[in-house]
Amino acid sequence: MKTKYSLIGLLTAAGVSLAACAAPTAQPAQPAQPSEPAATQAAAPVEISLRWRTRPDNKEEADVYAKISDEVAQKLGVKLTYEPGGSETSSYQDVLRTELAAGTAPDVFWIPGTDIADFVQRGLLLDLRPYANATPGYSDSNYYPEPMFHLTYNPETGKPGEVLWGLPRDVSTFVLYLNMDLINEAGAPDPRELAKEGKWDWAAFKSTAEKVNALGGDIKGYGMNAWWGPYGAFMNAAGGGFFNAERNACNLNSKASLEGLAFARGLYDAGIAVPYGEDSEPPFRAGKVGMFQNGRWATPGISTVTFNWDVVELPKGPSGHMGNWLFWGAYVVNKNTKHPEIAWKLVDALTQADVQAQVAARGTNIPSRVGESVFAEFLKILPDKNNQAFLNGLADKPTAEGPLWTGSWPDFDQVMGAKVSDVLTGKLSVEEFGKTVCDEAGKAFKQ
Amino acid sequence: MTRSTFASASSAPGSGRALTLLAGWHVALSVALVGGALATLNSAAASEALRIAAAIGLALAASGSAAATLFIARRNHLGRTLSLVVNYIVFLACLIGLAHTLGVFMGLDDLADYMARGFPFGMGALFVVGYFISTTALHERPVSLARRNLGRVLMALGAIGFLLTAGVVPALASLPGKYISGNLLPLALTAGVMTTGYLLWSMWRGESARAMGAKNIHTERLNGWLFLSPNLLGFILFFAGPLLFSLYVSFTNWDSFNKRDWVGLDNYRRVFNLTVQALKTANQPAGDVIDVRVYDELLRANLFGQSYLIGAEDKRFWISLRNTLVFGLLAVPLAVIPALALAALLNSRLPGMRFYRTLYFIPSVAAVVGVALIWQWMYNSQVGWINYFITNAISLINSVLGSNIKDPQIRWLADSDYALLSVVIMSAWQWLGFNTVLFLAGLQTIPRELYEAATVDGANPGQQFFNVTLPMLAPTTLYVLTTTTIQALQVFDQVFIVSNGTGGPGTSTLTMTLNLYQNGFQSFRQGYASALAWVLFVVIFAFTLFQFRRQRRASGAYDM
Amino acid sequence: MSYRAIRAMRGLAIYAILSVFAVVMLFPFLVMVFTSLKTASDTFSYPPRLLPGEHVTIEMPGFERPLPLYNITAESGETKQMALVEENIRVGVFAPLDPAGRPNFNRTVIRRFGEVKLAGGAEGKQIVIDGQTAPVYEVESDGQIAEMIVLTRTTVGQFINPANPSETVLANVRLSQPVMRVAAHPENYAEVVNLLGFDRALTNTAMITLLTVIGQIFTSVLGGYAFARLKFPGRDQIFLLYLGTIMVPFVVLIIPLYQLMVAIGWVNAMPALILPWLYTAYGTFLMRQFFITIPKEIEEAALIDGASRWSILTRIFIPASVPALATLATFTFLYAWNSFFWPLVVVNTGNTRAQVLTLALNVLRGRASDSPNLILAGAAIAVIPPTLVFILAQRYYVESVTSSGVKG
Repeated sequence: MKTKYSLIGLLTAAGVSLAACAAPTAQPAQPAQPSEPAATQAAAPVEISLRWRTRPDNKEEADVYAKISDEVAQKLGVKLTYEPGGSETSSYQDVLRTELAAGTAPDVFWIPGTDIADFVQRGLLLDLRPYANATPGYSDSNYYPEPMFHLTYNPETGKPGEVLWGLPRDVSTFVLYLNMDLINEAGAPDPRELAKEGKWDWAAFKSTAEKVNALGGDIKGYGMNAWWGPYGAFMNAAGGGFFNAERNACNLNSKASLEGLAFARGLYDAGIAVPYGEDSEPPFRAGKVGMFQNGRWATPGISTVTFNWDVVELPKGPSGHMGNWLFWGAYVVNKNTKHPEIAWKLVDALTQADVQAQVAARGTNIPSRVGESVFAEFLKILPDKNNQAFLNGLADKPTAEGPLWTGSWPDFDQVMGAKVSDVLTGKLSVEEFGKTVCDEAGKAFKQ
Repeated sequence: MTRSTFASASSAPGSGRALTLLAGWHVALSVALVGGALATLNSAAASEALRIAAAIGLALAASGSAAATLFIARRNHLGRTLSLVVNYIVFLACLIGLAHTLGVFMGLDDLADYMARGFPFGMGALFVVGYFISTTALHERPVSLARRNLGRVLMALGAIGFLLTAGVVPALASLPGKYISGNLLPLALTAGVMTTGYLLWSMWRGESARAMGAKNIHTERLNGWLFLSPNLLGFILFFAGPLLFSLYVSFTNWDSFNKRDWVGLDNYRRVFNLTVQALKTANQPAGDVIDVRVYDELLRANLFGQSYLIGAEDKRFWISLRNTLVFGLLAVPLAVIPALALAALLNSRLPGMRFYRTLYFIPSVAAVVGVALIWQWMYNSQVGWINYFITNAISLINSVLGSNIKDPQIRWLADSDYALLSVVIMSAWQWLGFNTVLFLAGLQTIPRELYEAATVDGANPGQQFFNVTLPMLAPTTLYVLTTTTIQALQVFDQVFIVSNGTGGPGTSTLTMTLNLYQNGFQSFRQGYASALAWVLFVVIFAFTLFQFRRQRRASGAYDM
Repeated sequence: MSYRAIRAMRGLAIYAILSVFAVVMLFPFLVMVFTSLKTASDTFSYPPRLLPGEHVTIEMPGFERPLPLYNITAESGETKQMALVEENIRVGVFAPLDPAGRPNFNRTVIRRFGEVKLAGGAEGKQIVIDGQTAPVYEVESDGQIAEMIVLTRTTVGQFINPANPSETVLANVRLSQPVMRVAAHPENYAEVVNLLGFDRALTNTAMITLLTVIGQIFTSVLGGYAFARLKFPGRDQIFLLYLGTIMVPFVVLIIPLYQLMVAIGWVNAMPALILPWLYTAYGTFLMRQFFITIPKEIEEAALIDGASRWSILTRIFIPASVPALATLATFTFLYAWNSFFWPLVVVNTGNTRAQVLTLALNVLRGRASDSPNLILAGAAIAVIPPTLVFILAQRYYVESVTSSGVKG
C-alpha cells in the first residue's frame, strides 16, 4: 500500500519537474489562455522580439501603452512585449539597475531625466547617434531643448550634441491644482483671473492660501509633497537653485535659494500648508486643501473628484519668474540589446507625435515634441480646464530636471532632502541650513 | 527500495569484475578532474579567486578519486567510502547541471503559468480527497472495499489530471528537441548521470560491500552522510559559500557592473571613520575644526563645559546605527513586558483562555508588508483612527477632569520625531502575541507546588512573582529577549513600506538594514554594503552574547 | 466580601483586561477588512467610520438626478433630512448697520447677490468703516428692507425638504452632515486583482510556498534523522556549525546570494525564490530535537528485522513526528508567504511572471496611493490566507512554538 502511494507521489513529482522542463519551447503566450500546441510555435519563423518598459501611473495608462506596443509592433514587423514596471514609490529605477546588472533588463526602457548620467557613466546605454543620423526627418530640435541638452551630452568631451542617449517620452511641469469650491467659499479672488492680470505672485498666492485656511477645521490652504520638485520650485522662483550654472557645485546656500526656502518655511510656520512629509494628494482629493502643487501626472486622478477643480500656473517669485521645472524622462536603449537597429526604431516610433498624443490624451503628461500643432492638440484635452497653465509653465524659463554629469544626483538629493525636511518641519533654521548644507551636499560632486 | 532489493539483484556482474571496473573508472576520473582543474585555472571565464577555488575543489576530487583506486585495489573499505563520495558528488553535479541545461529550474516559471489556470490545484485537491476517502485517516472504522476503490479512482484521476493540467505533455514533447538541438552538453550530462548512477549502485549493493569488508558501522556512516547530503548541499551552496563570498566582497569596491578591486579594510575604515574635535564656542561652524571634504558633522556634545564636535565620514551609517539601537531599546521592552503580563493573566486557568491566546497570536502570522500598510492608514494624521482616538480620549479627560490638555495632533509618520516611534508601536503590536504564547508556555511549566509553598511562607502575589515566577521563567525570558532583539535589530520591511524605502522623513527611520539596502541595491556599492552587513552581524552577535552572559551570571550555566 | 465574590471580581477583571487587548490586537484587521469594502471617497471621511457606507440619495419629481440627502439644522434649531438641489451659490454674509453706522455682527443674514441691490440709486452709497470704504446694500430681512454691508463672500448650497418642497434653506454644503447608509463594495477585490495581476501573484506565492515547504521538510527530516540517529565522523562538528548559523542574520547573505542568482541567471525567476530556501538550520535542528525523543528500542528492533534506514525513517519516525512536521510546515509556510526583502532584491516589479504578493502590494501602494480601499483589499488578500492556515494549524504550531521556547 505505502509503496504504491509513494510510487504515485514519485510519479507526480517527476511529472511536475518534467512539466517544469517545458521552459522555452512550449511557453504559453498568455497564462490566462489555454496553451497552443507546441508544434505551431516551433514551426513559426524565428522572429525578432524586443522587450520594452515604461512606468505607468495607473492601470488605464498601462493599457494605453500596451495598445501602443501592439500598434508599433505591427508597424515595425517585430514582436514587442510591453512591461508596465513599478510605480514611482516602488523603486522603478533600482529594479532596473538590478536587472541591468543581472543582464535581464528589457531592450528599451524609460528612465527619469535625473538618472541619465548615472546610467551613461556606468556604461549601460547605447549611443543612438549613428542610427538617428541615418533616419530621415529626425532632428534634435523636434523636442524641447532642455532635455535634449542632457540626452546629447558627451561626458568625455563635456559637450552636448555629439551623442544621443535616447529621446524624451514626455515632459511635465508644476501647476497649482485648485479646489474652486473652497476658494469661492473662502471668498478669495480667483487665482486664474489674477494670473491673467499678471498679479499672481507670492503675496497673492499666500493670501489666497491664508483665506482658504481661515475656513478652519481640517481645511488647509496649500499642499505640496515631500520631494525635491516642490521646494526646488520655490528656490528657482527666488532666483536660486540647486546647482550653479555649470551644474558642478552646490548652490543651496546662495542668498536666493535660502530666500525661496524661507518663503516655503513661512507657509508651514503659519500653519496654512499640509504638514511637510504628509502626502497632500489624498486630502486634496478629499476636498480639504485649497491649492495643491503637482505636475500633469496628477490630472487623471484629480479629474475624478467631486468638487470643481482647475489649475493655475505657479505664482511668480522675486525673480519675476515662476521658477518652474521641466520634468522629463526618456526612452533609452540597453547597451546589450541584440537588435540595436530595431530598438532605435522603437524609440523613434514611441516618440512620434501621434503616439505621444495618444498618451497625452489620458491627461497624464505633455508631449515632448515642440511646435504649434502639438500645443494646439494638447489644449484640446480636457477643454474646460486651464491647460494653458502648463504651457505657460514650460514657456517661462523652466529649469530642466537633470542629472549631474560631474557628480551623483542620488547622493546630492539624499543630503538635501533630509536637510530641507528638517527646515520645513521646523527642526532646523534656514540660516543653519545655509551654513552646513553645501559642506555635505557638495560631496556628491566629484572632486 | 530496501537493502534486500539491492542485495537480491543477482543479474549484476560479479563483485570482482565490478570492482575492477570501478578502479579503472576512478583512474580515468582523476585524470579528467586534473585536466579540468588545469583548464579552469587557465581559462579567463571568471575572476581569479573563483577559478582558484574551483581548481582546488576539482583537484581535491581528483586526489579522492585516485586514492579510491588504491584502496579499492587493496580491498580497504576506505576505498568504497571514497568511491561512493566522489561518484555521488559527480552524480549530483551532473544531475544539477542536466536539470539546469534542460531548463528544469527556470521551468518553474512555466509551471506557474499552468498553475495560474487553477486546474492543477483542483486536481491536487481531488487527489487529496481521494486519499482521505480511501484511507482511514479521518475515521476510526475500517473502510469498505467500494469506498476504497472509489478513493483510488479519484486519486488516479487527480494524479493524471494534475499531470495533464500541469503541462506534462508539452514538456515531454519538448524534451527530445533539447537533445538533438546540436548542443552536446545535455547528452554528456545524461551520460554522466547514468554512468555514475550505475557505479554508485554497483558499489553500494551488498556484494561489493561484502567484498570491500563493509561492517555495520560503515553502513551507518555512509547512511549518515547520504541522509545529510541534501541538507549539506544547501548549506554549502546557499549559506556557507555565500557567507565567505560576502566577506570577500566586503574587502572590494564592487559596484556589480564593472569595478571590483581589492581595497582591503578601506570599507570598514570608512564605516567607522570618526573624528572628535573641541570647539571654541558651542555653535562654531563645523568647517573650522573638521575637514568638511571628508567628514560630515554628526553631532555636538557638551562635556564639562567644553563643547565637542563629532564628525563622521559616513554619517548615514551612524544615524542608522542610532536609529536601530533606539528602535531595539523601545520595541523590545514594548513587545516583551506586556507579553509577560498578558501571559500571567492567560495562565489563570479560566475558561476561554485558548481563544484569547489564538487571537493574540494572529498579528504575528500576518505579512509585515500588509500590516505596515494597515497601520500606515491608521496613522494618517488627518483621517486616521489613532489620532481620532487620541482626540476623543483627550476631550473625555478634559471634560471629566476639567483639565485643559491640548490635542497634540501628532503627524505620526510624517514627523521625524515620531516616525520611528510609530514603527516601534506597530512592530511591538505584531510581536506581542508571539512572545505572550512563549511566556505562557514557560509559566505552565512552573510547578504549582512552588506557589503553594510560597503562599504558606506568607509571600504576597508580588513577592511570588519576583521570587518564584521570574527566576523560574529565566530560560524563556532569555529566549524571548534574544529572538525579539535579533528581529528588532534587523528591522526592514516596516520601515521600507512606511518611508517608501527612503528612511524618511529626514533620516528618522533609516535603520541599518535599510541603509545596507540603499547602499547595495540603490547606489550599487555592493562592496561597502557587504561591509555594513558584517558590522550589523557583529552588532547583533554582541547583543545576543551580552544577553547570554547576563543570563549565565543570573542563573548559573545555561544549557543550550 | 466573600471569597467567592472576590474570585468572581478577579475573573471579571482578567476578562476585561484580556478583552481590551483582544480589541487592540484585532482592531487593525477590522479596519483592513471594512476599509477594503469602502469606496475611495468614503475612506477620507472624518470622523472615521468603521463600516463602509454610501451617501443616501432621493429621487424627487422635477429633478433629473437623484439628490443627496443631508442632515440640516434649520434656524429653528430642529434637524431635518433635506436634499441638496444646487451647489456653489455665491452669496454674501450681510450685516445690518446700527444707528451709529457700525455693522451688527449678531444679526447677519445670508443672501444671494441677485436678491439684493445697491443702496443709494445709480451713484451708489458707500460708508467708511475703520478707514475702509464698503458699498451699502438694501437687503430684505424679516419682511423689512434694511441697509446692510457685506461682511464676507462665500458659497453655499440650497437644500429643500423632500416632504415639503417649498421649504428651502441655504447652508454650507461642506460642513453639513451627509445621511449615510451601510453599503459594502466587494468589487474592490475584483478591481485589485485586475489592477496588478494579483491572481498571478497569488498563484506564484502559493506555488513558491508549497514547494518551499515540501523541500524544507525533505531536507530537514533527512538531516534531522542523520544528526539524531546516525553516527558518522564530523557529525557533531557540523551540527555545532549549523547551530552557529542560526545566529547569522540574513542580510549578511543578501549580496552574495543576489550575485549567485545573477551568475546562474535566476534573477527575476521563481527558482531564486525557492531553491535557496530549501536548506534551513532551524528546521534541521527542530527535527533533530524531535527525533531524539523517539525511543531507540523501536529502531533497533526494526534494524534487526533487516529494515533499511530509509524505511525506518518513513515507517517509524515520520508517522511519529506529525506535530513537529506540522510546526515546521507552518513556520515555513508563514516565512515563505510573508517574505519581502529577498523577493524585493531578486525579483523585479516589472515582471509579473515571478511576482509575489508582498511585491505586488508594494507596487499597489504606489499605483493606488489615492485609494486606500484598494490597498487594504490587496493587504487582505495577502494577510487572510496565512491567518487561516495558522488557525487551522494552531494546535500544533502554538504548542511547538512553546516547546522550542522552553527548550531554547
